[in-house]
Amino acid sequence: MSDALDRAPLLAPGQSLAGVTDHVSDIVLKRPTGRLWLAAFALSLALTGLLATGIVWLLMRGVGIWGLDMPVAWAFAIANYVWWIAIGMAGTFISAALYLTRQDWRSPLTRYAETMTVFAVSVSGLFPILHLGRPWFFYWLAPYPDRMNVWPQWRSSLLWDFFAIVAYLIVSLLYWYVSMIPDLATLRDRAATRGRQVFYGLLALGWRGEARHWKRFETLSLLLAALAVPLVFSVHSMVALDFSEGLLPGWHSSIFPPFFVAGALFSGFAMAMVLGLPLRHWFQLGDFITPRHIDNLAKMMLAAGLFVDYSYLMETFTAFYGMDRYDVAMTMQRFSGAYAWVFWTTIGCNVVAIQALWWQRVRANRAALFGISVLVLIGMWFERFMLIVSSLYHDFLPSSWGMFYPTFWDIAFLAGSIGLFFLLFLLFVRVLPIVSMSDMRKLVHRLQEPRP
Amino acid sequence: MSANTPEANIAMQALRQRMAGAQGPRFWRALEELADDAHWRETLHVALPQLVALAPMDRRRFLKLLGASLALAGLAACSSPPQEQMVPWLRQPEGMAADSARFYASALACAGDVCGVLVETHMGRPTKIEGNPAHPASLGGSAPALQAAVLELWDPDRSQTPLHHGMPATWDDLFAELARLSRGDGRGLRVLSGAIVSPTLAAQRDALLQKFPAARWHQYEAAGQGQTLAGTASAFGTPLQPIYHFDQAQRILALDADFLGSMPGRLAYARAFARQRKPPQMNRLYAVEPTPSLTGAMADHCWPMSHDGVGAYARQLAGVLGVGGVGDANVDDPSLRAVADDLRAHKGRSLVLAGETQPRPVHALAHLLNQALGNIGHTVDYIAPMQAAAPDDSLASLCKAMDAGDVQTLLVLDANPAYDAPADLPFARALPKVPQRIHLGLYRDETARLCDWHLPMAHALESWSDLRAWDGTASIVQPLIEPLYAGRSAHQLLAAMLGQPMDIRALLQSRWHAGDDEGWSRSLREGVIADSATAPTNPSAVAASVPASTTSPSGELELLFRPDPTLWDGRYANNGWLQELPKPLSQLTWGNAALISPALAAERKLVNGDVVELRVGERHLRAPVWIMPGQAARSITVHLGHGRRHAGHVGDGVGFDANALRSHRAPWREGDLQLHATGERIELAATQHHHAMEGRAPVRAGTLAEYLHNARFLQPDEPATPPSLYPPKPPGEYAWGMAIDLNACIGCKGCTIACQAENNIPVVGEDQVRRGREMHWIRVDRYYEGSAQAPHTHHQPVPCMHCEHAPCEVVCPVGATVHDAEGLNLQVYNRCVGTRFCSNNCPYKVRRFNFLQYADVKTESLKAQRNPDVSVRNRGVMEKCTYCIQRIQTAHIAADRDGRAIADGEIVTACQAACPTQAITFGNIADPHSAVSKAKASPLDYTLLAELNTRPRTSYGAHLRNPNPALEDDA
Repeated sequence: MSDALDRAPLLAPGQSLAGVTDHVSDIVLKRPTGRLWLAAFALSLALTGLLATGIVWLLMRGVGIWGLDMPVAWAFAIANYVWWIAIGMAGTFISAALYLTRQDWRSPLTRYAETMTVFAVSVSGLFPILHLGRPWFFYWLAPYPDRMNVWPQWRSSLLWDFFAIVAYLIVSLLYWYVSMIPDLATLRDRAATRGRQVFYGLLALGWRGEARHWKRFETLSLLLAALAVPLVFSVHSMVALDFSEGLLPGWHSSIFPPFFVAGALFSGFAMAMVLGLPLRHWFQLGDFITPRHIDNLAKMMLAAGLFVDYSYLMETFTAFYGMDRYDVAMTMQRFSGAYAWVFWTTIGCNVVAIQALWWQRVRANRAALFGISVLVLIGMWFERFMLIVSSLYHDFLPSSWGMFYPTFWDIAFLAGSIGLFFLLFLLFVRVLPIVSMSDMRKLVHRLQEPRP
Repeated sequence: MSANTPEANIAMQALRQRMAGAQGPRFWRALEELADDAHWRETLHVALPQLVALAPMDRRRFLKLLGASLALAGLAACSSPPQEQMVPWLRQPEGMAADSARFYASALACAGDVCGVLVETHMGRPTKIEGNPAHPASLGGSAPALQAAVLELWDPDRSQTPLHHGMPATWDDLFAELARLSRGDGRGLRVLSGAIVSPTLAAQRDALLQKFPAARWHQYEAAGQGQTLAGTASAFGTPLQPIYHFDQAQRILALDADFLGSMPGRLAYARAFARQRKPPQMNRLYAVEPTPSLTGAMADHCWPMSHDGVGAYARQLAGVLGVGGVGDANVDDPSLRAVADDLRAHKGRSLVLAGETQPRPVHALAHLLNQALGNIGHTVDYIAPMQAAAPDDSLASLCKAMDAGDVQTLLVLDANPAYDAPADLPFARALPKVPQRIHLGLYRDETARLCDWHLPMAHALESWSDLRAWDGTASIVQPLIEPLYAGRSAHQLLAAMLGQPMDIRALLQSRWHAGDDEGWSRSLREGVIADSATAPTNPSAVAASVPASTTSPSGELELLFRPDPTLWDGRYANNGWLQELPKPLSQLTWGNAALISPALAAERKLVNGDVVELRVGERHLRAPVWIMPGQAARSITVHLGHGRRHAGHVGDGVGFDANALRSHRAPWREGDLQLHATGERIELAATQHHHAMEGRAPVRAGTLAEYLHNARFLQPDEPATPPSLYPPKPPGEYAWGMAIDLNACIGCKGCTIACQAENNIPVVGEDQVRRGREMHWIRVDRYYEGSAQAPHTHHQPVPCMHCEHAPCEVVCPVGATVHDAEGLNLQVYNRCVGTRFCSNNCPYKVRRFNFLQYADVKTESLKAQRNPDVSVRNRGVMEKCTYCIQRIQTAHIAADRDGRAIADGEIVTACQAACPTQAITFGNIADPHSAVSKAKASPLDYTLLAELNTRPRTSYGAHLRNPNPALEDDA
C-alpha cells in the first residue's frame, strides 16, 4: 500500500547514542517550563479541583447527585470507567505485545504509551468505587478473612472485574516502572542539583548499568511483558462480561469480550495519537517518532476500528437473525429512539470518520490524524454511553421505561477525570523521560551495526 | 422533683390540671387557694413528698417551695406529655413477650367514607392501620387515606398548642372566653363543621342548639353527598341514602358514578363487585362518564361523553325503557338499545346508579329506572340518611350572615373553608368581620390563620368518638395513644361549651351501652356496634316527572371538578404518602393537572405539562395539562385538594387550587370554559411514562366468551418456562408464592400505600419522582389498549417476583441479594454496597435504590410511626419487596412455639390485607391445597416474562372482560 513508507527509516539519520540521551534528558533536566505547559497545567488543575469537589459532594450526598434513576441505574460513571480503562489498553499493547513480537518501531512510543496506560487505569479505577452507593465499603469485594465468614459472590462479573483491574493496575505499574529504571539512573547521573540527584537516585534503585543488572532487567521485562499481554485481553474481556452477564437486550451478547478488546485498542491508539502528535511537535521528537511510526499507529487504529465496526454490524445482524422481540426492539430504539443521536454520533465517529485512514495522504496529515483520533475518542465514549443507557432505558416492561438526563455533576466528573489524567500526564513530561532512552540507544546501536 | 410512683403521677396530673390556665397574678392566687385547701394539700403531699419532709413548715415557706415546684408544672400544662414512656424497650426481661404487635378496633372517617379499622400498635405506638374484617364498610380492605392516617397522627407539622392571636395560650383561657358566651341565648353564635358522621357529635349539636336557641350550625363539605341526597329527595320526596348490592347485580349501568373510587361504601362495593367477576360467572358493567374513573376502567363497555351527555343518555335510556315520562321511546342508537335490552332482560338483577357529580334529575332518573327494573329491594335499598342533608347553601348563608355582621362568634370545627370554599363564596373575605373567630383543627391551616383562636384538635387515633358508616353501622372510635400534643376533640370542646363532663368515653358508653359493660367492651373489641345498621325503608312512591336537564351547546368546553383520588378535598395535602401515591389512571404524583382529551390536545397542539390558562367568566387559573385517554372530547377535569397555602412543610404550594374556578351553585361542573395556551411548560411528576404494552402482553387479556370457549385460551402452545441447565432445588416444607388476580384488581393503589406503611418506605419528594426515583415496593402499572378516545384499561400491581432463577442474585458481587430455602429472594441491606447491577438486571424493575438519604432519620415523631420489625434503609442501599418477610417470620415463630406447621392464610402480606377486592393471594405453593396453589392452578394464571426463564413466584390471573355480544363491534 505504501511501500515507500514501510522502508522508511525508523530513526532519522545522524542519531548517535549520546545525542539520543542528550535530547531526551534535556527535556526533563534543562528545558525551562513553557508558558503553554503552565496554561495546560492550570486548566487541568482546575478540572481536577472540580473532580475533587464533586467527590466530596458525592460522599456527602450520595450517587443521587448524578442523573441516575430507575431504570437507568448506571450511566456516566460506568461509561467513564469503561472509556478510561479502554484508553489504558493500548499502552500496554504497544509496549508489551510489540516487545514480545520484536517490533522495532515501538521503541520511541513505549514510554509515553505506558504512562498513558498507568494514568488512564488509575483514573478509571476511581469510577467503580465512586459509583457505589456506599463507596467506603468497596473493599467488601475483596475476599479478606472475616470473623463472620462473609465471602464475595463469585458468580458476579463485577467481582472478577475488580480483580482484573487491580491485577492490571499492579502489573502495568510495575512494567512501567521497571522499564524506566535505566533511564532514571541516567537522569540521576546527569542531574545538576542535589535535590534531583536524590530524587532520581532513590527512584533508580541503585542501578549501575552492570551486565548483571541488564541481564536481570531484560528477564524481568520479558516476564512482565508476558504477564501484561494476557491481562490486556483479560481486563477488557472482564469489563465486557460486566454487561454480557446481564440479561438485558443489548448486553446479553457473547460477542462482547472480543468486541470490547477491539474497542479498547481502538480508543487506546486514538489516545496514543492524541498525546503523541503534540509531544512530537513540542519536544522536537520528530527524529524519533518518524512519519513511519505515525503511519503505523494510524493503521493499527484503522484495523481495530474495522473490527469494532464489524461488531456493530454483527450485533445488529444477530438481533434480526435471532428475532428476539426485545433485541429487535432495543436495536430499533438505538436507530430511532430517544438516544438515536448518540448512536448516530457513535457511527459517525467510529465508522465513517476512520475510513479516511485508508488514504496514505490522510495518514501523513498530522492535523487530520489528530482530528480523527479526537473523533474516535468521542465516539468511543458515546458508544459506551449508548451500550449502557439504550439497553436500560427501554427494557422489558414498558411501564418501567424511563429516560436518563445527566446533571451538572455527571458532566463535572467526566471533565474532571480528563483534567486529572492530563494533570498527571503534564507532570510526567516535566519529571520523567518521555521517550525510553535505553530502548532508543538500543535502536540506534542496532541500526548502526550492519545486520548479520 | 416528684416521687416516681403512679399515685404521685396521678396527683401531679391533678395539680397540673388545676393549675393549667393560671397565669401571672392569677397563678399566684391559685397557689394560695391551693395551699389553703385541705384536700389539695393532701394531694400535694402525695405528688411532692419532699415538701412533707420539710416540716414544720409555715404557710409562707410552703408557698415559696410550691411556687418554685409548680412554676414548671404550670408551663408544662400548655402541652402535657403523654403518660406512656415512648422509648421502645430494647432490653427486655426474659420471658416477657417481645415487641409483639397489638391490634385495637376503631373507626376512621376518611375521604367521604367511614371505615372500621384495626390499628396495629407497638409498645403503645400506632404504626399501621388495617381494615376491620367485621366492619361492613371495610370487610378487611382499606383505602389509601385510611392507611395514611397513621402518618397524619405522627406528622410533625400538626399544631401542638392553642394559639391566641398567634401566641401560645391555654385551653382554660379559651374556656374562660366561652364562659361569657354561655350567658346569652347564643345570638351571633355560629358553628361551622364538615358533614357530621358521628351520632354523638350530632347529639351535641342538637344540645348546643337547644342551649343556644339563637345559634346556628352550618355544615360544609367540599366533596360531600349533597347531590345524591337531593336526588333521592326529588325522586322519593325525602332524602335517602341508596345502598347498592353489587353481589345481586348482574347488569350495572354507572352514570358517571365512581362506586369503586369515590362513593361512600366503596370498599364494600369493590369487594362485592369483584366477587361477581369470577369466571365462568361474570357481571357486566356499562359506564358512561366524562372523565376516566376507576369504575370506567373496570367497565366492560365505557363510553366517554360530556357531563350533560350523561344526563341525556340517562333520559334516552329512560325513554327506551318507558320510564319517568321523559325522552323518546324510539332512539335509534343501537348501543343504547342494546344496553336497554340487557338491563330489561335482567329485571331485579340489574342496577342503574348515578354519581354525586351528576345533577339531581339524573339521580332521580336512576332511581326511577331502578324502580322500573324492579331493582329496589334487590340490588338497591334506601335507608334514612344519618341526618337530613344540610341545605346546599349552608355555607352561602353563613357567608352572607358574616358579611352582614350578624355573626359575633364563629366556631369552625375541623373545616377549612378559607381554602376549600368555592370562589364565589367570600368566606375568607367575610371572616375578619366576625369579632370572635375560633378554629379547631389538626393543622394551623388557611382558616386557622384567619381566626384569632386556633385550637389543636386531637387526632382520631387520640380521642374517643363514634362514627356511622354509610349503611348506618356505628362504631366506637377509641384512642390508641394519649394526645401527643395539647389537642382536644370536637366533642370535648362542645362538652365544655355545654357544661357537660369532659369524659367523652363515659358519654359514649352511656349513649350506646348504658350500664352494660359487657356490651361496651364487645363493641370496643369488635369495632362494630351490633345491629346498628339502618334498616332499609325502600319507599315505593316515586315522583312521576323529572325536571328536564339543560344541555350545553356542543363545541363548548366544560370544566369538571373532582375530589382528588388521594388528597380528597385537600385535607390530606400534608401527607407525604398520599402526595406521592401515583393517582390511579394518570400516575401523577405531587400536584394536579387539567386533564384533557387526546382530541383536544391534538386540536390545540398541547402536550403533557403545557401550562394553559383556564378561564370561567371572570375567574381564571393557570394549570398544566395532562392528556388523559378516555376523557370526553371537550371536557376538562381538575382535581380539588391541591394548591394549599398553609398545609404544612409537605403540602404547601403543591399543584394549583381548583377551588378558584368553582361556584357553589354548580359545584361539579362549569360550562363556557375558555382555554388558552400560555407557551410555558412544566414537567409533571408521573411515575409511568409509557402506556402501551408494545405487543409484549405484560397483561394478558381476553373476553369471557373466549374463556368459555376454551379456558386455556391465553396459555401459549409450548410450555412457557424454558428448560434449565441447573438441577431443581430440593423442595422444602414451605415455598412462598403470590397470585394476583388482574380480573379483581381495580387499580385503587391501596396495596402500594399499605406496603409503604408496613415497610417503612420513605417519601422522596416531587423532584426525585420526576427523576424516576420513587421508592414504592409494589407499583400498580396501568396499560391502555385500543383507541385513545375510549381505551380499555388494565391495572397490574407489580411487587418483586421472587424469581426462582433470580437474575439479580448472580450479579451482586458481595452476595447482598440471596435466595433462602423457602424461595424468597432476600435483600441484605447491611451487606449491600450499592452497585445497582441487580436493578439493571431485574427485568421487572421492582428494585428501588436509595440514591440519596431518603429516610428521615432526624424527625423524632416520624421515628415513632415506623414498624419496628422492618429496618430503615439509609442511602446507598438497594431495597425491594420482601413478601413482608417480617410477617412470615412472625408466623414461623408462632408455629415453632406451638410445634405445628404454618396454616394456610396465617401469613397475610400488607398488600394482600389492604386489597379491597382480595385480588392478592399469598401462601405456600408447596402445599397443593393452599389458596395460592389453587389460584395458580387457574387456566388464566401466567407469569410475567416467562420466556426469560426467571421462574417468578408471583403470577397473575389474566384480565377478562364481559362485553355485550350485541355490541361486538364496539368491544
